Amino acid sequence: MHADDQGPPADQGRDRRLRRIAGQDVYVDWEDFLWDPQDWSEAMALALARESGMDGLDDAHWRVIRFMRGFYFYHGRAPMNKDLRKGTGMSLMALKALFPQGIRQGARRLAGLPNPKACL
Amino acid sequence: MQKVTLKINGCSRQVVADQDMVLLDLLREHFHLTGTKQSCDRKGQCGACTVIVNGKAVLSCLTKVAKLDGAEVISVEGLGTPDNPHLIQEAFVLAGAIQCGYCTPGMIMAAKALLDGNPDPTDDEIKHGLRRNLCRCTGYAKLIDAVRLAGRFLRGEIAPAAIRPKVTDAKMGVSHPRPSALAKACGTAPFAADIQMPGAAEIAVVRSPHFHAAIKSIDCTAAEAMPGVIGTLTAKDIKGTNRLKYIVEDRPILCEDRVRTLGDAVAVVVAETREQAQAAAQAVKVDYAPLPELRSPAQALAPDAPQIHPDRPNLCFRQPVIKGDADAAFASAAAVVEHRFTTQINHQAPMEPENSVAFMEGEGEDAELVVMGRSINIHLHMATLQAALGFENIRYEETFSGGQFGIKLEIFTEGIAAAAALKFKQPVRYIPSLAESMLITSKRHPFDMQIKLGADTDGKITALSMDITVDNGAYHSIGNVIINRALHMLSSSYYIPNIKVASQLVYTNNPWGSAARGAGPPQAHYALECAVDMLAEKLAMDPLALRKRNSLQPGQTKATGHVIDEWAFEGLCEAIQPAYARAVADAAQAADGPLKRGIGLGAAAFGIAFPGDKSISAVELEPDDGVTVYAAAADPGEGNDAMLTQLAAQVLDLPLDRVRADTRRTDRTAASGPASGSRVTFMIGGATVDALKQLRQAMDEVGAKTHAAFVAAGRPTRYVGHKAVTNTAPLDPETGQGPSSDSDVHAIQLAEVEVNTESGEVRVLKMTAAVDAGPVINPNNLEGQMQGGMDMGVGYALREKYIAGETTDWRTFRFPTMKTAFDTAVITRETPRKRGTLGSTGVGEMAMVSTAPAVINAIYNACGVWISDLPATPDKIKAALQARGKG
Repeated sequence: MHADDQGPPADQGRDRRLRRIAGQDVYVDWEDFLWDPQDWSEAMALALARESGMDGLDDAHWRVIRFMRGFYFYHGRAPMNKDLRKGTGMSLMALKALFPQGIRQGARRLAGLPNPKACL
Repeated sequence: MQKVTLKINGCSRQVVADQDMVLLDLLREHFHLTGTKQSCDRKGQCGACTVIVNGKAVLSCLTKVAKLDGAEVISVEGLGTPDNPHLIQEAFVLAGAIQCGYCTPGMIMAAKALLDGNPDPTDDEIKHGLRRNLCRCTGYAKLIDAVRLAGRFLRGEIAPAAIRPKVTDAKMGVSHPRPSALAKACGTAPFAADIQMPGAAEIAVVRSPHFHAAIKSIDCTAAEAMPGVIGTLTAKDIKGTNRLKYIVEDRPILCEDRVRTLGDAVAVVVAETREQAQAAAQAVKVDYAPLPELRSPAQALAPDAPQIHPDRPNLCFRQPVIKGDADAAFASAAAVVEHRFTTQINHQAPMEPENSVAFMEGEGEDAELVVMGRSINIHLHMATLQAALGFENIRYEETFSGGQFGIKLEIFTEGIAAAAALKFKQPVRYIPSLAESMLITSKRHPFDMQIKLGADTDGKITALSMDITVDNGAYHSIGNVIINRALHMLSSSYYIPNIKVASQLVYTNNPWGSAARGAGPPQAHYALECAVDMLAEKLAMDPLALRKRNSLQPGQTKATGHVIDEWAFEGLCEAIQPAYARAVADAAQAADGPLKRGIGLGAAAFGIAFPGDKSISAVELEPDDGVTVYAAAADPGEGNDAMLTQLAAQVLDLPLDRVRADTRRTDRTAASGPASGSRVTFMIGGATVDALKQLRQAMDEVGAKTHAAFVAAGRPTRYVGHKAVTNTAPLDPETGQGPSSDSDVHAIQLAEVEVNTESGEVRVLKMTAAVDAGPVINPNNLEGQMQGGMDMGVGYALREKYIAGETTDWRTFRFPTMKTAFDTAVITRETPRKRGTLGSTGVGEMAMVSTAPAVINAIYNACGVWISDLPATPDKIKAALQARGKG
């Protein structure tokens, strides 16, 4: 047996980890996306925004975030870019300017939308 | 060239054909009769291309067009259409003989030729008539049933309407035809290679001839100058991460500076025709510097072994399990057995090659890259491609799928097709050969297992230890998940209080492993269930009684310490008892001689829905008053379309013709998660039922089930449902203790075999399975999974093996055939599960988990030798018999 041998730890891979955001312990995935979109709160969105270097979230940011969440809970998936443009009335360039980390890593992550689930 | 005149499906055609053109290509490429399929690289091995020529079934891939002057050809399209099917097509649907549907047109044509000449064939005549047709899904049992039923239809003994369930019949527990079955039977269901893309470019890929080498240079200059070539791609043309990441970002679309296993993709040629692309691929010059090949975990773990991936050690994952005190329990055990078992690298062997297509749709900011293939997780794979290519506007569409059995947890050709479509802004098809498909795809991991099992004098298992080394091959994929799944299900059906396990996952330069039906547990169950039989012999106990005595009970714990609250195994031991007693008696009465009869058991408890799993699904009451389920529930052959629609009809109390499932596109479906881990019924079905119950409640409140009434009442017509498993925490990395699956499906299988002690050949006479997956939604689909799974399990036990560079087609793979098929019996119990989908759980993988140990135990029972290294080929059995004789 080699149970006591040294070796790499269990790889979290596409697994989840517990972390504290805005004073709340929640599971996040390997890219810091919320595991469960129901865990989201506006305070979390603000905390995640500040973590990524944004000063705060203005009305335009909230409009995008609210559209994303509404879309997700109506369709069961994140909006495609074309859905986002249509739903917010903004161009992709404007959306990317609002969220310096991009639409996926920025807007979608701040909106608490999960990554697609993998095999666990 | 030669001019021929022939009739195709009753229409006269004039064709001027090259001397080498075969009928398959004429039908598919020139007349777009794509119901006739290609699987075996035109070697006449699979029968998927069977058509009728002058009244006889022929393999169209071997039939030269030049010899068909005056011939009358009938393809599957010449029989019937979904609106007006032929009786044979109806029989295949109603018998449940259609799963993925890729072999179906060829099967139906072979059946027609048989029945035209012999309307009442015996089973042996059916087997002979369909002997050239391969099927990976069904285990052949329902195909024989279908031909028998077709004979009855054709003889006028019974009409399809007399046995076809009505749309108003009970929704659960009835074998309603799958919504997709008639399209598959009639050859109108489009698989990836069937998609018509006039003017599409074709792809050929330059692949590594080395298991491990540095790429010094790639020169595409000569290739780009060749006729028809549109352009070439290398890694530098990929604008994103160039990684098809599942868990670890280690697998490139195109290799940059190193190849890590045979067949790694290095460069791509895009040309007007496939022949031009292939010719140009030969002209790409790649300068390799060979590196040491690490072809085993032992070589990869040697102190001086080079690291295969620069950022990860070759020993890339380990997970112990420490439960109780195994050492102390072994010290006080009345009986202890210990043995080493090893398993082979195997291919999942779906019949459809790894075809995919890609094209750009729309303009400007809306320009969307559409990728079509057989993904079983379209939303994740869309995200994978977005990151790999650095392009966000991607839509993935699942085509009809010629089987997958885990292989499509990963994507293969899609990355290359998508990169080419993106670069050249034109539609592309990547239609690789079977040989290339087998080379580039993931495999079933080989396990090396040292197991030790101890019991007390009452036959209670007290301790288990296991030392597991898994060869991960060159890329990680889900290697850690494979080990974790094996550990979650390590103690299988039993309560084992003391467990000590070490496991390690090792990168090598071998073919890389990933999901393959069961994904870890089939390997571990082989060791465990054989050890259980060894223990029974040592304790002088009946193997069935020993298994029943050790059944886990509610309140007890699995290997991970997870306390279970329901367990349906003991009832299965009782259910299989009569078949077991009959098999024991039959074996005892068998004549003594070189042919030895034996029986063996294998049990399995298969966990479904592991901690953290979630699913989501949407349902909508549409303006036509139909209800649509929008869920990305891939259906590579299991019948998920039937599952979803039967659940919808049941919950809403609607006839089946008012419900449908929309499952294939990322822009239409909820991101429901993968069709893997046997989770579709439990997780996606569960989320769908949640949505349906919301709709049902609204229907009850509105007092009507029509769209107009909902609109008039101001009620929403769309509802989103969720399902989340009870637990979220992963296993403890040091003890392997933690919560486990939300649900378990149970089975016990009985193998009856005949071993020729002179030749070493094993013939499986019959496999009987007792299974409990909760209330049965569709009996034909459940039986089909069991029969096909057992056929796959027998192949795994006795024949199948993938050897890189040698296994290139169905013959070298030793694909199961009508000739190797066996009798089956499926006994079902329907214990409702507390957290099940209307009480049900999944069944797809468990069907083969305990087959191999049942067969190996039966071989031991027959002739007294243990085969400890799968597959149990005749040479291994002969060698073991000779060794035992000498001993």
